[in-house]
Amino acid sequence: MAGIRGYWTLAAAAIAFRLLLLLCFPKDLHLGSRPEVATPLTSLRRLAEGYWLKQASMSPYSGSMYHGSPLLLSFLGQLTIRRVEGRPPHFYCSLMFVVVDFITAILIRATGQKLLLSRHKSFQVLNLSKLVEASGTVNPGDFASLVYLWNPLTIVTCMGSSTSPVDNLMVVMAIYGACSRIAPLAAFGWVFATHLSLYPIILIVPVILLLGYGLDAPPSKLFLHKTSDASSSGALNQSPDKSGASKLTDNTIHTFSWVQVLHFVLWVFIWLCYVLLLSSISLKDVGGLSEMFRKTYGFILTVEDLSPNIGVLWYFFAEVFDFFRNFFLIVFHVNILFMILPLAIRLKHRSCFLAFVYIAISSMLKSYPSVGDSALYLGLLALFCNELADMHFSFFLFCGYIGVSLLSPVMHNLWIWRGTGNANFYFATGLAYACLQTVLVVESVSSMLKHDRMLRKLVKA
Amino acid sequence: MAAEAGDGKPQPGRRPRSRLIVRLGALLVAHSVLVSVVCCIAGSIAFLLLPVLAKNTYVSENALMPGSANPMFSSHDVVEANRFFKEILDRGSAKVTGTEIAKLIGQHVVDVGAELYYHKFHPHGNQFHPLHFFSSITNTMEMQYNSSCTLFGLNSVGIIRAPRGDGKEAIVLVTPYNSQNIGQSEALSLGLAFSIFSLLSRVTWLAKDIVWLAADSRYGEYTAVDSWLKDYHNPLFLSNSGKIGTGVCFEENILHLLDQLKVKGPRYNIFKRAGTMAAALVFKVIEKKEKEERDSLTIYAEASNGQMPNLDLINIVHYLAVHRQGLRVKIGSMQSLLKAAWLKFVGEMLQLFGKLTKHLNPKWKFDITSAEYVEGTATLASSIYYQALGVPTGSHGAFRDYQVDAITLELSPRFSLNNENNRSAFLLRGGRLIEGVIRSVNNLLEKFHQSFFLYFLTAPHKFVSVGVYMIPFALLLAPLPIVSAALFSGNDNLGVSTEKVNQEPGCIGSSDMELRSGSWKWLQAAKVVFMIHLWAIIVSLLPYVLSQFPLTTPITLLLVWAALSICILLIFYLIFGACSTHCGWELLKSVMIAAASTGLSLMSVINFSTAQIGAMLIVPMCLLVQPLRKQMQAGVCRKAVLVICNLTIAVVGFPPVALLIAKGVCEDFGKAGVGGFWELAQLLWSWNSATYLYLLWIHLPCWVLCLHILLYPCIGRSSEA
Repeated sequence: MAGIRGYWTLAAAAIAFRLLLLLCFPKDLHLGSRPEVATPLTSLRRLAEGYWLKQASMSPYSGSMYHGSPLLLSFLGQLTIRRVEGRPPHFYCSLMFVVVDFITAILIRATGQKLLLSRHKSFQVLNLSKLVEASGTVNPGDFASLVYLWNPLTIVTCMGSSTSPVDNLMVVMAIYGACSRIAPLAAFGWVFATHLSLYPIILIVPVILLLGYGLDAPPSKLFLHKTSDASSSGALNQSPDKSGASKLTDNTIHTFSWVQVLHFVLWVFIWLCYVLLLSSISLKDVGGLSEMFRKTYGFILTVEDLSPNIGVLWYFFAEVFDFFRNFFLIVFHVNILFMILPLAIRLKHRSCFLAFVYIAISSMLKSYPSVGDSALYLGLLALFCNELADMHFSFFLFCGYIGVSLLSPVMHNLWIWRGTGNANFYFATGLAYACLQTVLVVESVSSMLKHDRMLRKLVKA
Repeated sequence: MAAEAGDGKPQPGRRPRSRLIVRLGALLVAHSVLVSVVCCIAGSIAFLLLPVLAKNTYVSENALMPGSANPMFSSHDVVEANRFFKEILDRGSAKVTGTEIAKLIGQHVVDVGAELYYHKFHPHGNQFHPLHFFSSITNTMEMQYNSSCTLFGLNSVGIIRAPRGDGKEAIVLVTPYNSQNIGQSEALSLGLAFSIFSLLSRVTWLAKDIVWLAADSRYGEYTAVDSWLKDYHNPLFLSNSGKIGTGVCFEENILHLLDQLKVKGPRYNIFKRAGTMAAALVFKVIEKKEKEERDSLTIYAEASNGQMPNLDLINIVHYLAVHRQGLRVKIGSMQSLLKAAWLKFVGEMLQLFGKLTKHLNPKWKFDITSAEYVEGTATLASSIYYQALGVPTGSHGAFRDYQVDAITLELSPRFSLNNENNRSAFLLRGGRLIEGVIRSVNNLLEKFHQSFFLYFLTAPHKFVSVGVYMIPFALLLAPLPIVSAALFSGNDNLGVSTEKVNQEPGCIGSSDMELRSGSWKWLQAAKVVFMIHLWAIIVSLLPYVLSQFPLTTPITLLLVWAALSICILLIFYLIFGACSTHCGWELLKSVMIAAASTGLSLMSVINFSTAQIGAMLIVPMCLLVQPLRKQMQAGVCRKAVLVICNLTIAVVGFPPVALLIAKGVCEDFGKAGVGGFWELAQLLWSWNSATYLYLLWIHLPCWVLCLHILLYPCIGRSSEA
């Protein structure tokens, strides 16, 4: 149960490390221009351009430079124009992102503690307290939040003048809100995350499941099995509402609570109206909402910008013939949607894990991925360190991530700066990265299912 | 890495139906010793066979059309070259100031109707910037000009605007000369360059602008060319010129200079440009001591970090020199290897083998004579050596940093230059060669891209392409992930088996614990490896601190460097030493091998030659290393062999020793001293060679970890079982 010793020291050290990087390397870190860090959607340089255009009372979307939200423009735009002598160009924004990273880490920690509590509760119900003792050594909340803070990818994203820390914060906020059953917060996080980067729209499934069924727990069949054993009156007693023990069970296997979900939907509606209102005020004289939708969501869905990134779509759409383009756009986007339903059915008792799987899949198949997305799902992965303790290929994945993240800049250098390589060199690393992510998702899901199977075996034994 | 997919748990008993790829991986992993021995031997043989597998070069880009037009360089131009040559020698002997020759060049350039300007530059000393490798070129602009204003060089630049071009592209000719003390051969190369320049100012076919840079090589050729290129590619705007701090002395000096130069016309200190560079030719005349039967041409192509110009550029030069001008073309080769007996023996064996195969099937073209093989190997070795060093072999290297293909042509005459007839014939050949090359490049429609960028030369007309030379390297590297997976899964299985023994029925909790520690135990080993790499990074940055102190002799600097590194290593051991003994040495070795293979494959992309040489040292070291205590338990004969192998490799694997041996093989053992290492390191980092980073970030930590494993205190669990 006890958290990791010196959690606050380590967290403070992570923050201090970021500040040190910010202060010590005024100019040499050109992370903002790296395709791995800043995508056309998240680049702060583009945001500054959009802000400038808007100040000149033009549409921020003119000239195909800026593709983000207008709210971000009024939120961060002011900070982009302030310069300090001898500091990086976006010093204040970077400071802001350090704070945002810290808040994200705190929210991940709180989520982890909620998950741990629910795990203990369900184990107690299932008479598996020995497992609790065994797994009590690692507190998933502390661990995950430290993984998030110390992940080099997070640090690079934070330093690299890209707005993905804000996107990540919104996603984590939605998950946290759903885990602690604060419908307004969950709705706020989900609406803003969707508004900022569109792909979190699929998180509505895990968020509703979390609000409806509650936190991650072993499959509900196990509880039924246990209660049927405990009551021992009838072999197939399906209504566990007699003894005192079964009352505890009743708390853990909730029926789907429609009230929470309706509450959530109401709040989603309210926040949606709010966001649209703010956006339309912000873009009143310049463009308007239709242009915003066209230039943000349209830009994401039609993959207009084919500049190289760590994904696989840019290469594919640079090659594909124009008349097949629409077809393949549909194929690629439906790819994500296809996975929603089967996964939701299989993992409905573990909605938080389901959210992780969705985020990992969408960051693999999205049109403009960056390392900020992997930073998010790797942080969330660490929330399930107890369940995934015997995951296969962990060493292979670790080596692979390190290898790809070192090889990718070198290949880019070879192609763009030295001119001796070509696009295939860089794309190869993108492909390897996609494979790694696939292996990660497949292995984590299969070891989670294996964990459930083990629990069933133990309960039945 | 794909083979590492097998590092899951190949447990044949529990899971009979595993996927095919997993089973294949498990098969490889199970026979890892055999696989690694076979792969290493095959890799070494394939490496020795590279000269045999070399193909003849061919001009790949059709637009080049070398030698399709008759040369226009005539005896009239030769006369002009001779006249200019004599004028320079007259001025040079007077030795008034350093600017006399620049003035002479300027007058002549203006006379032929070309544009002229002078470029003044300050030489910069050796600075510590190995980390500039990844940063884009624009950053190098911020280099400090802390040298005094009095030290400067003066390049004279002439530009011919192409009558048929749009001014977007240019071809650059470079002739380095020493303005303080000009020799006969340098004067001749200036004369040759001027006669070509004046010819080009008259021709009608020019589609690209011609830039002639007479580089003042007082402070080294490279410095002059590099600073000119830097100013060419980074326009200096008036708004930020004040920030540089040299503005004041710059202005004063240039006015003073222009008074001295007294060239009529507009201001000659304004920097002029001529579009992107399609190619650059550095050429110079060198008088050699030994006499040959033909005039000869030596080509130098290696740029920084083992980059090579496009092969087509070398091809057209070779084609024109051999088939049109009848010159003898040479490229650098390692002299010591030419006489090596063992190489001759290998060559003869190959010759025999070739005859045998020809007997079997006449279609197999596998015949190579022994002499050809020896020469090819010596050339290949020098090619690999210069690429691995990462230091350019001439001022053409400066161009490659801006993605411009460039080579140095060194023309040497057959007879003495004093004989006027011989000199004229030589000038005619050289002039026609360079005119032909320029005419070919002039035909280009786009950048050089058709032919190879990644290749080794085994002769001026033979090359080994990337597809061929990657095979030995891949074979050498293949055992690493397999052995790593084998060690890893061996350890894993072991954990499972001991756990099965220990496990009491009903004790579920402990089994869960065991499982977790089994699956994630490598984290401990990874921590050790990470710490050692962190140490190596600190060590690689130490010279930056050291070079700030006023220590002068290289030996003191080297000793301080070594002492500091060892101190830091000891501190690391004291702080983190406790955790390093928890994990067995198998896991540590497995993680170390994974790190080494990642590093080597990364380096093979950055600078292949370094990775190849490094792999030949690291791979045996990584594969063979075992704790000495464990080796003591084996049989006497095996023990002796193992210990001797391990110790030899551990000594040879130490970067300074490896460098000493490499230097000894290439040059002489006598020359290498202790201070030489510091100088070599300085050479590497001041040329921002990635080899420095490789040696300190990959090779050194790997060696330290190997030593750590050799001296491992407690034997891993496997040996107890």
